[in-house]
Amino acid sequence: MTLLKTDHITMRFGGLTAVKEFNLEINKGEIVALIGPNGAGKTTAFNMITGVYRPTEGQIFFNNQEITGLKSHDITKRGMARTFQNIRLFKELSVLDNVFIANHLHLKANLLQAVGGKMYPDFLDKLWQPKYKREEKEILEKSYMLLEKVGLLDQKDEKATSLPYGLQRKLEIARALATNPQLLLLDEPAAGMNPKETNDLTGFIRQIREDFDLTIFLIEHHMQVVMDISDRIYVLDYGITIAEGNPYEIQNNQRVVEAYLGVSEDA
Amino acid sequence: MKKRNIILTISCIALLALFIWYADGSFDSYQKRILNLCAIYVILGLSMNLINGFTGLFSLGHAGFMAVGAYTTALLTMTPESKAATFFLEPIAAPLANITMPFFMALLLGGLLSAFVAFLIGAPTLRLKGDYLAIATLGFSEIIRIIFTNTQNITNGPLGLKSIPNFTNLWWSFGTMIFTLVVMIALINSSYGKAFKAIREDEIAAESMGINLFQHKVMSFVIGAFFAGIGGGLLGNLLGAINPMMFRFILTFNVLLIIVLGGMGSVTGTVISAFVVTSGLEYLRVLDESINLGFIKFEGIAGLRMVVFSTLLMIVVIFFRNGLMGTKEFGWDKFFNFFNRRPFSKKGVGQ
Repeated sequence: MTLLKTDHITMRFGGLTAVKEFNLEINKGEIVALIGPNGAGKTTAFNMITGVYRPTEGQIFFNNQEITGLKSHDITKRGMARTFQNIRLFKELSVLDNVFIANHLHLKANLLQAVGGKMYPDFLDKLWQPKYKREEKEILEKSYMLLEKVGLLDQKDEKATSLPYGLQRKLEIARALATNPQLLLLDEPAAGMNPKETNDLTGFIRQIREDFDLTIFLIEHHMQVVMDISDRIYVLDYGITIAEGNPYEIQNNQRVVEAYLGVSEDA
Repeated sequence: MKKRNIILTISCIALLALFIWYADGSFDSYQKRILNLCAIYVILGLSMNLINGFTGLFSLGHAGFMAVGAYTTALLTMTPESKAATFFLEPIAAPLANITMPFFMALLLGGLLSAFVAFLIGAPTLRLKGDYLAIATLGFSEIIRIIFTNTQNITNGPLGLKSIPNFTNLWWSFGTMIFTLVVMIALINSSYGKAFKAIREDEIAAESMGINLFQHKVMSFVIGAFFAGIGGGLLGNLLGAINPMMFRFILTFNVLLIIVLGGMGSVTGTVISAFVVTSGLEYLRVLDESINLGFIKFEGIAGLRMVVFSTLLMIVVIFFRNGLMGTKEFGWDKFFNFFNRRPFSKKGVGQ
């Protein structure tokens, strides 16, 4: 079943065409990678899909519904979450709060119920518990579960920026998972990780796919990770899709090799 | 909230009530007025801190919201006779002339009207960011003041309102202060407050996590304006006379001074700083008068006390960028932790 489909999406910034007629199809449960040299338009493609940019042309479908031009928060609500290339955590807030906030979009209590619920003393809970407090307890339990999954439960009260780089990446993933996504978009999850962390990452991504029944779409420069993990790969170069296929096909595709290494003189 | 903390908080409020009861009976009117002002500035500081400190919206429209609250409350509490006496240039518009309602209702309506105005202003301006938002809100606050200067038959124009009943006393101002404090603390610790903070930290990330930026910004702006309106209402009925000139930018600046000194994003910092700044502005009046040290005599310079605060603000901005408390809070748990983990206590050495 197709989960995400883009139909000839194009993004132009003035005279520059960052992405041209990009066609993507991701099926449920797949891990799909998007690769390409620097400046190929990978993050632009991500930004169009997640609603940061509105594509100049073309349409995007998620779960067979058109999401072209919707705002990011609307798209996230429909079940798509992302991480960022240059980590964007809520820096001054605690690790726990970072994950807690990502649950906010599913909160049913309104503002008054939330403020009232917060004022309600704990020791009266046995008599009657406000709706908001029940919800908050569920959110906290879920947040603890997610933090345990990524191995950050012990650091839950620390400031997000005090974590080492690799753990900040994991926290970003945990935060994205808290929005209950069907599709998770990872923008260079291995960037800045050391070889050991990179090795662990592949297993970690497979693990969360199993545990949360996810479909994953990722941008990655680390070829070992990409070839190891992906079911299918799309290759972009100067905004144009130059190849599409499984890792074996991509590794042996002449145009991909040229895009990455350049054309040899005597070819 | 934990049981111990609730008991401690309630006993603190009881102590405060006892103090107010004592102050109400035995302080002179000057001291009472300073205390009232302190409490009102706490309300104003908290409301501005919600918008600027917690949600990260650089808004400078506070004086406008206060003006709406102050005028509404004043007009709704004045008696028909005093209204007739005040509006001698042009009679007051018909329905307002005979309405008089209890102080509580008037305050509430003042807050609600101010919130409504904030909603109208927020809808277009909250799409702006940073300094653009600051300029736009500042402009709207001035527009409100100009409108009030020119609507002779509603606000009595530049002459202002006089003989507003002095309903604001220590009980009203401190009671409202406690109410504002409780609501603010509950709000910023709730899921909504955390969403506000997320917007402050990173708008793009917050939106990607499913937070509707515009809706939450308007929410914060409107709640802030509601309490600013109530603060303005209390102020008007404390002073007994208001005019549009009172609600110039300098009033916004005073509240901004309080939250910057206390820490953008700290409730306790705002409370401490509101008391220090408000009483400081009064007690430093000594500097404005001539000082005689016996061997040397300084001529008084009017406005010297403002120099002290400007210098203080400069020092804070250069050396303590986050103000007194930063985004930290003072709470009972912290208070007890502080005593429990003293390095030289037996527990600390033993482990």
